[in-house]
Amino acid sequence: MIKINNLDFAYSNTQVFKNISLEFQKGNIYGLLGENGVGKTTLLKLICGLQKPQHGSVTVDDLTPSMRQPQFLQNVYFLPEEVITEDTTPEKFIQKIGCFYPRYDFALFNQLMKELEVDLTKKFNELSHGQKKKALLACAMSLQTDYLFLDEPTNGLDIPSKALFRKVISQYCNEDTTVIISTHQVKDVENLIDPIVILDRDDVLLNASFAEIIDKIYFEYGPERLQGAYYTEMLPGGYINVMPNTEHLESNVNIEALFNAVMKNKENIKNLMQNE
Amino acid sequence: MNNTFNINRFGKILKHDGLNFFPNLILALAILWAIPVIIYLFAALMPTDETKDAFDAMSRIDLISTLTSIALIIAPARLYRYCNDSRKGIGYAMLPASALEKFLSMVFYCVVVTPIIYVAGALAIDSILALFHGPYEGFAAAYYFDRYAKLDAIFTKDNAMLDASLLVFFKNLSPTFMIALSLLGTLTISSIFMFGNMIFKKHKTGKMLGILILLFIIFMIVFINLVANNEALANYFNQMNEDKMAEFIKHFIFVTMNVAFYCEVIISALMLFGVYRKIKTQKY
Repeated sequence: MIKINNLDFAYSNTQVFKNISLEFQKGNIYGLLGENGVGKTTLLKLICGLQKPQHGSVTVDDLTPSMRQPQFLQNVYFLPEEVITEDTTPEKFIQKIGCFYPRYDFALFNQLMKELEVDLTKKFNELSHGQKKKALLACAMSLQTDYLFLDEPTNGLDIPSKALFRKVISQYCNEDTTVIISTHQVKDVENLIDPIVILDRDDVLLNASFAEIIDKIYFEYGPERLQGAYYTEMLPGGYINVMPNTEHLESNVNIEALFNAVMKNKENIKNLMQNE
Repeated sequence: MNNTFNINRFGKILKHDGLNFFPNLILALAILWAIPVIIYLFAALMPTDETKDAFDAMSRIDLISTLTSIALIIAPARLYRYCNDSRKGIGYAMLPASALEKFLSMVFYCVVVTPIIYVAGALAIDSILALFHGPYEGFAAAYYFDRYAKLDAIFTKDNAMLDASLLVFFKNLSPTFMIALSLLGTLTISSIFMFGNMIFKKHKTGKMLGILILLFIIFMIVFINLVANNEALANYFNQMNEDKMAEFIKHFIFVTMNVAFYCEVIISALMLFGVYRKIKTQKY
């Protein structure tokens, strides 16, 4: 489990997090959402130990990431947004790093490369941006670490590749693994992520599972704008209204509408979700 | 699990870094290996009597030593260029090995493997060139490992500054001490540039060279002002007879060599500690 307690972090004069606390439970695929520059990548880097908190603590299975102990590092893999790879083939790359990870499976790597339709004999610099991302995703998943952190993984992927991405990620996750996907392309990870974490500058606006969200928030699809809605958006054929779920009605979460509703009603929705 | 040092993990990081060694450094080493070949070809075009001394085995060893120093200077930035890069260095930082294992592997490749591979290659090339009837006479390889034992040969030439007692002083310097001094020099050069590689993001070697040149200039300015322009000191030397002067030079060399030895130990230790700390605490 990942525990973040009273975390403060700043880059020189820019405060990124101020006294935030957060938990990520095992066995989930978390969606880490937020506007550009709120600190999604920074949070992932803090969890990976690539940055150190100024105050507060971050622990992953009771280990301190910033100490970068092998025991911690062999259980996590971070795939950054920017695809940077060596002048080598994905096959050679994974063989070079795989030996460090106790559950690394080369057969799984080959299977994932086939599923993601990437040629494993081509060098990274001969692959397109999307192909590189898919190859690195196959590398990351074949390491079978308990924690997998993906920063904007769908950027640069074409539509079929996004569907493949969702498929392989959902296959990957089991009760011992935790995947955190940082993205602002919420449509790409719809039906994949649960729970959702929405970050704001200095704050965590939402950290809730779909079940908790639909228990408190109702997504009404209808022909008109409703009074009292947190957020209303015009869709083809009508409107979606995001409202407090006072009557405990069932609805389907629309992540994009939820995100916009949270951003427009930060305190209201934060208080609503915190009320038991 | 031992999170500080594990021999299996160390083997893995050695293998990992070793796989990067040749692709990243071989071109630079090839250029350095080519220099004695170019000099050979150039010398072959010159009259033999003018080049005989310049290209004897000992001179070629000096050239190989200089080129080895260059290999040591460029190796860290070639082998571990991205280890402190906020984006490209993430893979290295996240490799499941301890800071100590990564540090020892870096030291092994920069301080041990690089000079051994360069010197072995350079001596092999020199030996091949010496087989031909050309400007390279004698095999540098034959002299390379016992050059310090032949120190006395350096001082057999007539030299007004070197009296008998000074000759004895140099002859009494143990070859082991000289080899240790030379290896320490290798470690010092390498550790300085390894540290530069860890603190600078771009133009790592150039910036470190610039700093060293700047420090040298500052040192020379201070030295000239304190010593060379000091009239009292000049008068003191003028009043010395030859015996006293020889004794002074002997003492001066002894002190300088000792100071250099301890300075190199301190600089190497500080630089290596700095490299280790940077590996352990580098933010990305």
